[in-house]
Amino acid sequence: MRAVKVEHMNNDIINNIGLNHYLILAALLFVTGMAGVLLRRNIIVLLMSIELMLNSVNLTFVAFSKYLGILDGHIMVFFVMTIAAAEAAVGLALAVSIFKRFNEVNIRFFEHLKG
Amino acid sequence: MTADAFLFWFLAIVTLVSGLSVILLANPIYSALCLAMTMVGVSALFVTLNAYFIAGVQLIVYAGAVMVLFVMVIMLFDLKKDLQAFTRGILSGALKIASVGLLAGLVVGAIAISTGLLAEKTTDNPVTMGTGMESTKALGNILFSKYIFGFEALGVLLLVIAVGAVALARSKGGTHEQ
Amino acid sequence: MGMGKDIFEITVNGLKLVVIFLMMVQAVPILVWLERRGSAFIQNRLGPNRVGPLGLMQLLADAVKFLTKENFVPDTAKPLLYYAAPVFALIPGAVAFSAIPMSTPIHIDAFEMFGSSWGPYTFLVQGYDIGVGIVFILGVSSLAAYTLLMAGWGSGNKYSLMGALRASAQTISYELALGLSIVGVIMLYGTFNLMDMTMAQQGPLHFAFMGHTVTANWLPNWGIFYQPLAAILFFTTTFAESNRLPFDLAEGESELVAGFHTEYGGFKFNMFFIGEYGHMMIASGLMALFFFGGFGIPYVSVAQVQEWAASATSTATGASALVALVHFLSFFIKFAFFLWVFIWVRWTLPRFRYDQLMDFGWKTLLPWALANTILTAFVIYIASL
Repeated sequence: MRAVKVEHMNNDIINNIGLNHYLILAALLFVTGMAGVLLRRNIIVLLMSIELMLNSVNLTFVAFSKYLGILDGHIMVFFVMTIAAAEAAVGLALAVSIFKRFNEVNIRFFEHLKG
Repeated sequence: MTADAFLFWFLAIVTLVSGLSVILLANPIYSALCLAMTMVGVSALFVTLNAYFIAGVQLIVYAGAVMVLFVMVIMLFDLKKDLQAFTRGILSGALKIASVGLLAGLVVGAIAISTGLLAEKTTDNPVTMGTGMESTKALGNILFSKYIFGFEALGVLLLVIAVGAVALARSKGGTHEQ
Repeated sequence: MGMGKDIFEITVNGLKLVVIFLMMVQAVPILVWLERRGSAFIQNRLGPNRVGPLGLMQLLADAVKFLTKENFVPDTAKPLLYYAAPVFALIPGAVAFSAIPMSTPIHIDAFEMFGSSWGPYTFLVQGYDIGVGIVFILGVSSLAAYTLLMAGWGSGNKYSLMGALRASAQTISYELALGLSIVGVIMLYGTFNLMDMTMAQQGPLHFAFMGHTVTANWLPNWGIFYQPLAAILFFTTTFAESNRLPFDLAEGESELVAGFHTEYGGFKFNMFFIGEYGHMMIASGLMALFFFGGFGIPYVSVAQVQEWAASATSTATGASALVALVHFLSFFIKFAFFLWVFIWVRWTLPRFRYDQLMDFGWKTLLPWALANTILTAFVIYIASL
């Protein structure tokens, strides 16, 4: 399907899936995650919204990688995934200690955090 | 509609709907399960972008490990429906939604304006070759040559995180001495 | 990938997926019968032998019982999750099982049908060929943890929840050792593709070491001779992944009633059962594929089988189908043997304690898998000098 490139197909946004489709999808996912971070009060849901944002960034990297024909985007996705996993581990450990103390995981308890 | 286009629209709808459900559902368990669904959808989108290995890693790391951890923690807490799921205050809420909308508009506008600035490479590149093995080999080659420093740094980071997570989890309630 | 270029190929490929799924589901009653008779044999009992010859009709009787049981939802359950969990239990097993190559491809010559000619086709004897086979199988089967959690939490029962938490913690802990144990195999063959791995294991044992070629004609070129430690680690971790004894802490009748499926009965329970056996089948298939030459026949090469088949049949299509059948039988014998080992171990070993299970996974299997990876890397480097 990629081989057949007819000129009038270029404006057909339903059938001709290109870089822009993936970028806009990733942008919408990112914005969804950001709305979650701003609007929700539960720490675990906040962490999940951050994961959503990181995922949308990964999608952007991979889309660019295919479009430009270089693999460096895939490497960045690797790094982002590792850091996301690490962030989730520490975030959840923090959530567990907050829960042990207050029996709830609301973001307002994070003001009790001190060194 | 071609098969490729159908696949993209289907996956786009699945990821967007489940992504929205993550932030709109008041029960964190359903949020977490919807996020897992989003991860699987993103993984399938990676397959449509010829990133087979990354798609597999996405399934193993995100959907198979990180999200299971989230679901497990939520179930351990036995959280019910959040009583106060969303932030209070109509004004601040409206402000937040407006800023999110502004960001969305800016990003989509920027994409629309900048389209066509980059030239697409369709032939003779490592990403579109074959069905995965060639690009995975090329990926390994640059990961262990060009990006070896980043790779080692990530190893150190993971060690620090492992020690930190264990130290946090062992403390008895709260994050500091009482 | 892609389903094919014309209607015939697409139809056959679609049917193939259905047939492989049905094969997996239909193997379950036979395995259940084998398990019950086998356990009886091991424990010096008779087992189910009343219904039909050798008790084989017992399978049918069980199915009827499962289907006609009363359908109920516990009071405290969340109906959505409660019903979704058994359905999701089938998916990872079925999807991953389809990616295992079970025989040589079948070539069909051009032929005439419905007044038009249909070009030559090649059909793989597997659901679909994914370039990165192992990564895909590991990824899909790691989704099985959600089923356990959904069932455990959706049942609204403390025993179910505890069973689900135990089971999923066990699954994600052992996944690490599982993934690391096959890194050695991947390095050895230099590919993720399961078909390429099988083809690399044909012929007598031979390898290049520091410029010399070593050949041992009395042994087949199987992975177990290169990676014995990986084989043991892999097979052990798959027991934990499929929640079988001695790692079936998730069920633990004496402590947790029946673990995550305490509240399930009838056909919903049966679907969990099919899921568990599906994991066993994937594990046995992969074990045969990684370490025992896949569909290859020891001491006989694919070319020799093709020669024999060409002399036995008149058409090239028939010969190709016969070759595929012979190799499928070879695969099936290995596959069935490992399934029997699963059953054998279940009725031989006692259950671990939970802390022993975690210690074993993190402090024994994981370091050994890591050591195997490093050792393999060194040996491959030295051999290539």
